[in-house]
Amino acid sequence: METLVYIALFAPFASSLFAALFGMSPKQTFVGIVASLLLFASFCASAMLAFHVWTTGAGIHVTMMDWISAGDLHIPFGFVVDQVSVTMMTVVTLVSTVVHVYSIGYMDHDKSFNRFFSYLSAFVFSMMILVMSDNFAGLFIGWEGVGVCSWLLIGFWYHKEDVSREENPSISPSWAANEAFIMNRIADLGMLIGLFILYWNVGSLQYDVVFAALPDLSGSVLNAAAIALFIGAMGKSAQFPLHTWLTDAMEGPTPVSALIHAATMVTAGVFLVIRANPLFSMTPEVSYFIAALGTFVAFFAASMALVNRDLKRIIAFSTLSQLGYMFAAAGLGAYWIALFHLAAHAFFKALLFLGAGNVMHAMHDELDIFKMGGLKKAMKWTYIYMGVASLALAGIPPFAGFFSKDAIIETAFNEGTLFLWVILVVTAGMTAFYSFRQVFLTFEGDERYKAFGIHPHEMYKYVLIAMSPLAILAVIAGFAQGTFEHFVTKLLPDYHMSEHTHHLSMMLGLIVLAFAVGGIVLAYRKYYKGLKRDKKLENSFTYKLLANQYYIPNLYEAIITKPYAMLSEMMWKDVDMKIVDATVDGIAKFLYKSGDASRKMQTGNLSNYLNWMAVGSVFLLVIAVISAMFV
Amino acid sequence: MENILSILVFFPAIAGLLGFVVDKESARAYGITVAAIEFLLSVWLWFSFDTANAGMQFVELIPIIPDFGISYYLGVDGISLFIILMATLMTLIGMMSMSITENIKNMIITLLFLEMTMVGVFVSLDAIIFYLFWELSLVPMLYIIGAWGGPLRVYAAVKFFLYTFTGSLIMLVGMLFVAYVYHNLTGVWSFAITDWYALVLPVNYQLWLFAAFFVGFAIKVPMFPFHTWLPYAHGQAPTIGSVILAAVLLKMGTYGFVRFSLPMFPDASVMAIMPIAALSIVMIIYTAMVAYAQKDMKQVIAYSSVSHMGIIMLGIFAMNAEGISGSVFQMLSHGIVSGALFMLVGVIYDRRHTKLMSEFGGLASVMPKYAVIFGIMLMASVGLPLTIGFVGEFLVLLGFYHVSPVLTALAGTSIIIGAIYMLTLFKKSFFGPVTNEANKTLKDLSSKETWSLVPLVLIVVWLGVYPKPVLAPIDNSVKAMLAFMDAKAITQEAKDMIKVSKTTLNRGEVK
Repeated sequence: METLVYIALFAPFASSLFAALFGMSPKQTFVGIVASLLLFASFCASAMLAFHVWTTGAGIHVTMMDWISAGDLHIPFGFVVDQVSVTMMTVVTLVSTVVHVYSIGYMDHDKSFNRFFSYLSAFVFSMMILVMSDNFAGLFIGWEGVGVCSWLLIGFWYHKEDVSREENPSISPSWAANEAFIMNRIADLGMLIGLFILYWNVGSLQYDVVFAALPDLSGSVLNAAAIALFIGAMGKSAQFPLHTWLTDAMEGPTPVSALIHAATMVTAGVFLVIRANPLFSMTPEVSYFIAALGTFVAFFAASMALVNRDLKRIIAFSTLSQLGYMFAAAGLGAYWIALFHLAAHAFFKALLFLGAGNVMHAMHDELDIFKMGGLKKAMKWTYIYMGVASLALAGIPPFAGFFSKDAIIETAFNEGTLFLWVILVVTAGMTAFYSFRQVFLTFEGDERYKAFGIHPHEMYKYVLIAMSPLAILAVIAGFAQGTFEHFVTKLLPDYHMSEHTHHLSMMLGLIVLAFAVGGIVLAYRKYYKGLKRDKKLENSFTYKLLANQYYIPNLYEAIITKPYAMLSEMMWKDVDMKIVDATVDGIAKFLYKSGDASRKMQTGNLSNYLNWMAVGSVFLLVIAVISAMFV
Repeated sequence: MENILSILVFFPAIAGLLGFVVDKESARAYGITVAAIEFLLSVWLWFSFDTANAGMQFVELIPIIPDFGISYYLGVDGISLFIILMATLMTLIGMMSMSITENIKNMIITLLFLEMTMVGVFVSLDAIIFYLFWELSLVPMLYIIGAWGGPLRVYAAVKFFLYTFTGSLIMLVGMLFVAYVYHNLTGVWSFAITDWYALVLPVNYQLWLFAAFFVGFAIKVPMFPFHTWLPYAHGQAPTIGSVILAAVLLKMGTYGFVRFSLPMFPDASVMAIMPIAALSIVMIIYTAMVAYAQKDMKQVIAYSSVSHMGIIMLGIFAMNAEGISGSVFQMLSHGIVSGALFMLVGVIYDRRHTKLMSEFGGLASVMPKYAVIFGIMLMASVGLPLTIGFVGEFLVLLGFYHVSPVLTALAGTSIIIGAIYMLTLFKKSFFGPVTNEANKTLKDLSSKETWSLVPLVLIVVWLGVYPKPVLAPIDNSVKAMLAFMDAKAITQEAKDMIKVSKTTLNRGEVK
């Protein structure tokens, strides 16, 4: 079994190194094939481990070697395969394998094809470390590792120029990459502080030791640790106010968006909360805050998706919104439901992004859905895939999203947090609307792309086949709900709806469904026949506010980026040069000048010397008198 | 080899003297050979070092002026061992990568003398010998900056020399006073640091002496607000000068705090925690901001150096093994990474004769290998886990958290603002389209440059993934030092602050 653990973990690493060997040479298709095979090996190992954990009910714990040992701190490279991590491993490797195969087709004209696979596999490796580690420091390795890979991949087309925010809200891939890295770093500081709190209060960073020691800690320590760790989670999972990087990250190649910025990395924050559930379940206030923030983000992101015209950004907003749902569930204590939505979301959201990639491929990288329309003729399979994924996202039965999202909304009702429940229900309607607005504008109605001289074509067959596992899972994953609950609640606390909720569950489900169907119907009526632009609406204040992301990126630029640059400039030119350094030089100049001045005393003239001698004597005399008077 | 330390100190100097008769054409090869032998000797030192022993090893003691207790007294422990290794390594690598051709023979000889003084500082256990090497190290650097530097080289060299020299004079006064006190108490003269350790001084004496040593060390580190000589020195120095300066010479200051201030004045050190932490945090944040404002790549790295030294200072005053071991480790990490970064800036300077970021852009597509190595060093510099930069920074912040959570949070902003200036530098120089015609035909790393940088990359990864071989001996010596400090401290505050690890080996035996 240990071998399987190492295969699951290191096959992506091997893949990354292999691809890196060819990183600077021109495209070699076999690099992509080998990388995909290694990823598939990792998936198989993960699946076998999942089966093992399923049958035996016991986790596997391996310790590879020591990492950092100083003072009383000992951090090993240790990995744990239990119900939670094996779920993550299977989901991550499955989506990664699909994305790798997909990328062979998607990136086939890119001159940096090999380099791409190297980064992509390195990302999977980091993600596996993140989910498999048996301690917080190991988690942090993966945490930062995925951050760097995300930086590399967002900025993959680094040669593009910076443009104004009006022209491209992300400015440029390299700008978006830096933004993502720096924003995540802000959150990482919180995470590090969380680690320090735990270490100095518990004396270890191992999960089992820390969780066992939690009951002995005071409430304020627990709260501080929970807040600090959650700040870390906010960065990776792009929660408000650290959310702007996620949509800008869409500058990366689309397979990257599917894998990193939808299915895996951004769910790391949710994973952290689920993993540290013993801590978060002991801090109800912090958990409630998490749920409230999650609900807010769910709504907030969905509102921005309503009016956006950029295919990928719409999906990115929907990811943000769904992450909010997951946090809502985790914050309300329904950890297994959060994990279930995480897995289901990974499948249908990756599918949605890959579908968007097909559209981009066909449309020559055009992303504006107002310029598309009627693509269903040319791209039947992509239409089906994206339709299925959108149905799942909208929460229409029997698709996966229905089961997982419905459970979250029901939890909000069950906890008596009716306010959250209302927002989540409304958001479900909005989700359905923007998903189908996008689907209809892309695939139905008049063929607006013709005006731009584009001749769309369907994606390669093998790519479409590679996407099929995700499509199947997006359809059927929901039926596994009972089995999944049974499996993960061996480790996670079980969550049951109260008797009262149980009675109402049918009605609650129908309410959510009504909102979802309503959203779809609205989208159908407005956009199915084609695009009729409503200038008055588009010029309204609300529309502009939403389209400009509530002007938050502009605000950040005005109150953070620019002042920081100005302050730095001032620190350098005014403080460092004119005060600190000038003082030093001033002292030196004073010494030099006084030496220069006193040099003039050395005239060689005897009477001059006698004069100075007299001055000196008087001076000494005065000092002698004064000191005699006071001492 | 019982006299391995003497050999390590004087081999480069003697080889340097012999260098005068070496032919100019072969001076470079000669220098590299000598530096390589020196490096291998230091590796040998490491292998024969007993990692389980926390005290001084390979001790050599020859009285020079017995009447005044001055002796030729050398030894290494876990703290100094790896700094010596780093010094010899960086000298070797720096020499290998050197692109200077003008007066190459003088340069080689100067570097070999510099190597002697650097190794000398870190092995000396006698204050006078320490002081001699400490001051002597200024001379070769003065010459390197003054003779091979940029347009403002004389100003920069003189500033560097006078500034640090002034500081060390005050330190010398401190040393003489310690010896005087020692004489008063015991009736004999001694300048042996290990003898001084045994001295339990009243708190007010400790404070004054701490201040005297502080001036000498702080200017060298350089701590805010004594740092302004550094940007000039780096700005004007040739690449090799910057590499050695950043990698090794700055470490003399922080090493001094660990070797002298902490064990000799434990109570004063504890009292100084807050003032020093305040200065360090100003240093971390302020210089990181100044680094962000720079237009010149090399100045960014120079200011970032100051910022990282702030982290090291903070760790030293954490008063627990996590922080101090992390700090010593960070000295090595900073040496390797900043050395490599200065070499990398040198690479582009050799090609374009400018270091202004505005002159570049899109270098990643013209010089991919260069971009990869720069990227790795950048990530090490911002403290990415599994690179050498993380281990030290993490331990320092972890250690200092025990002292003050709020100040740690402030110091921790270094992981954010560090990323800001480094990523901005990388974006400006390496990303975007190639706009400048002159950059379109640049050649990627030559084999000479590759061979000097790749070993550093390997070390960065190796010590990031498996720091134990280096960290364990450091940690042993640090734990022993802390146990000693705790036993020696007079005030209750100091005893409370100094945290002795539960796993300390040979307790109290620092000598």
